[in-house]
Amino acid sequence: MARLPRNIASVFVIGGALALSACGDTSPVDDATSAVDAGVVNIYTARHYASDYAVYDAFTTATGIEVNYIEAGGDLLIERVRQEAERSPADIVITVDAGRLWRADQAGLFQAAPELADTLQGIPANLRHPDGAWFGFSTRVRGIAYAPDRVDPADISDFADLADPMWEGRICVRSSGNVYNQSQLAALINTAGVEAAEAWAAGIVSNLARAPQGGDTDQIRAVAAGECDVAIVNHYYVGRLKNSDDPANRDVGDAVDFIMPPVAGAGAHINVSGAGLAANAPNRENAIAFLEFLLSPDGQRFFPELTNEYPAVEGVTYDNAVIAGFGEIMADPVNVTALGENAAEAQRIFDRVGWP
Amino acid sequence: MTGQLAPSWPAAIAALICAAPLITVAALGVFGPWTDYMAHIASTRLPAYLTNTAAVTAIAALIALLIGAPLAWIVARFEFAGRGIMEWALALPLAVPAYAAAYAWYDLTQGAGPLGFLPTVRGPIGAGLIFALTLYPYVYLLAREAYAGQSSDAYDAARTLGRGPFGAFLDAALPLARPAIAAGLALVVMETLADYGAVAHLGAPTLSVGLIRAWSAEGSIADAARLALILVTIAFVLFAYERAQRRRARQSAASGRRRPAQRVKLGFGPGLLALLACVTPVMLGLVIPLARLGWRALSSPTNRSMVEAAGNSLLLAAISGLVAAALGLAAAYALRSGRRRAILSARLAGLGYAVPGSVAALGVLILLGLFQDGLDQVWTGLFGSAFPVLLSGGVVALVFAYQSRFAAAAIGPAEAALNRVTPTLDAAARSLGARSREIAWRVHWPLVASGALLAGLLVFVEVLKELPATMILRPFNFDTLAVTAHNYASDERLGEAALPALLIALIALPPMVWIARRITRSEQS
Repeated sequence: MARLPRNIASVFVIGGALALSACGDTSPVDDATSAVDAGVVNIYTARHYASDYAVYDAFTTATGIEVNYIEAGGDLLIERVRQEAERSPADIVITVDAGRLWRADQAGLFQAAPELADTLQGIPANLRHPDGAWFGFSTRVRGIAYAPDRVDPADISDFADLADPMWEGRICVRSSGNVYNQSQLAALINTAGVEAAEAWAAGIVSNLARAPQGGDTDQIRAVAAGECDVAIVNHYYVGRLKNSDDPANRDVGDAVDFIMPPVAGAGAHINVSGAGLAANAPNRENAIAFLEFLLSPDGQRFFPELTNEYPAVEGVTYDNAVIAGFGEIMADPVNVTALGENAAEAQRIFDRVGWP
Repeated sequence: MTGQLAPSWPAAIAALICAAPLITVAALGVFGPWTDYMAHIASTRLPAYLTNTAAVTAIAALIALLIGAPLAWIVARFEFAGRGIMEWALALPLAVPAYAAAYAWYDLTQGAGPLGFLPTVRGPIGAGLIFALTLYPYVYLLAREAYAGQSSDAYDAARTLGRGPFGAFLDAALPLARPAIAAGLALVVMETLADYGAVAHLGAPTLSVGLIRAWSAEGSIADAARLALILVTIAFVLFAYERAQRRRARQSAASGRRRPAQRVKLGFGPGLLALLACVTPVMLGLVIPLARLGWRALSSPTNRSMVEAAGNSLLLAAISGLVAAALGLAAAYALRSGRRRAILSARLAGLGYAVPGSVAALGVLILLGLFQDGLDQVWTGLFGSAFPVLLSGGVVALVFAYQSRFAAAAIGPAEAALNRVTPTLDAAARSLGARSREIAWRVHWPLVASGALLAGLLVFVEVLKELPATMILRPFNFDTLAVTAHNYASDERLGEAALPALLIALIALPPMVWIARRITRSEQS
């Protein structure tokens, strides 16, 4: 609210600037100056969830440090930080996918944060950068929602089983352009190689109940409605439906069961939302304080309790019986960096096998 | 011959500035590193991308034409119960982002949805329908504006010669509004080409899906830029062809405003039919999708305040709309000047609309980065310190990005309106001793004012809906309604997306009503 008047004031400045060139003059400098104040931390984030706002508020309450944030897609965020270079006001960069973290690291967006070394020990080694340039703070598991009356979960001991002809016409999954599918196939490439991954993807395509359409929630609805028997989805969409206040959504959620089978024997596919300290962070100390808070038990609890994600830090207790009830996660031990390295190859496999 | 009215170079330079992000993207495509991605998609998905692009675009354009043009004619020429409301209500679906309509219609018609008995809205046909339903107002608004300023001589003559009302509409009324309708369809086609969200959700991957994949999975900005160039080329060829056709079929009759026809009062039956014809697209494009979102909202209330986001949306849209009205008019004059360079820059500025918004935003980012570097070097030389930050959080940067992206929506209506000012009209005014400025003010302005207003309105509504540039260029803690709606919808929380989507339509309403009133008033005066 307090920002509105400043924006309106800037309108008058802008009117004149536009008359000159329609192109640009200096932007309002308030943000640039606040970026070097003692009391703020500037976050560039690809997330926009209730859990994050809760973390920001709790952090401000605990420390008095104000949180400024910009939310945008990961690719554009990376590009913005690159273009801003050494004058970037970003202290922390957050993305929703390990592939993006890997790419941001390749682009030199992060700096090491030795202060966090002890805290990072709480996160499984495969969910963070080997040298601590970034780390996952919440995780999601790609699993299978199925109709218990039509499917015997014993038939799916591994994701590889879904390529078997017994599943012909019974699988729902969203478009391959989605990063969830990309990162799962990237994990499979890492475990089993390109050829096996391509054979699996081709098997899924020939078993599809319908052309890929909609989001993960729509796939779960399709299973509940009997259009297909199994859907490949992230765990939190199932958790959200089962936890919903809306009885209609809860009915959909309760119509399916959820399992998290391994991918080609390697363990369940998990991906992270992750954060890193920006290379030119103007508020480095505040940023470290924020990252510490993000990984504290108080910070971590928000993710399972508000967005049905799993906390990345081991041993955090939380109140969400539904996602706790999905069982213990036997995670693929591969470092999530591999997901970024194999993303392009995964996309090409999807293109070759005709998974739209 | 009419170029003396005003120098065309300021408009040409403004147009070039607007085209700069597109030129930046083109440079990325030409000079960026070459990978084998193009060869890869050529041997795999390209045929599917091309077929989908052609199908979605053709369906969208055809249906938008079939809805927009006849209804504009009906509203402009006939009097029936509810006409006054339908006149502006018909424009409202433009305020619904295509992806929001796609999410809502898919949600309604999927197997378990309440309208599950209908064919599911999906694939190229479903996507084409969604674009037609949310974008037909471009055709409607431009055609209505054209009909409002037109005499009905030709139509009356055709009726006298024995054509039925529909035949006379096709033969006499449709051709007269052709420049306006073509301009409207151009906007429909470009926005369809550029869309990513709706086609991805409905499973109709077009070229822009291939483009986003090049960027997000391959990490190849250069290949994304190359695909953007293909989109731009498609748009360019289509429009050049249409203009050539139009030149051949040049109408000599419609010059200026002569005796706008009295609206014909329809009897009860035909009046009801007319009302029904008007209500249907508004129901399908606006009421039903928003009602679906709203129904979901009832069971999942939002607790974040929308007041600040609404204020920000209004602020950005209002500034951009005003600037666009002026720029559109200036560019239209540049086009009319007949000078090659002016025409080239104005056409170039309009093409950026065919490129997905995220690529356009990328162009702006890189351009501002370069600009900042340049300023830094000059500034350091002069004062020994770096130039203040340009990129981060500039409302100015945002307004620039909008002008660049929506130049087509600004130029189209202004150009179509200026089309009504024929050279003979200028010559007549001149022969009566009028000076250039007088001609512009007393002859042109009354004819083009509504075109300029329409340009401003279109950009106003576009900015209310715009996403990628808004997201990446905004200042800290600066939310807009479109961003809020998208955040929820992309997170598959349709219910929470309803309120901001509804607010976008509400904010778009007053200017739409105002402009409809103004056009009607100028018609009567």
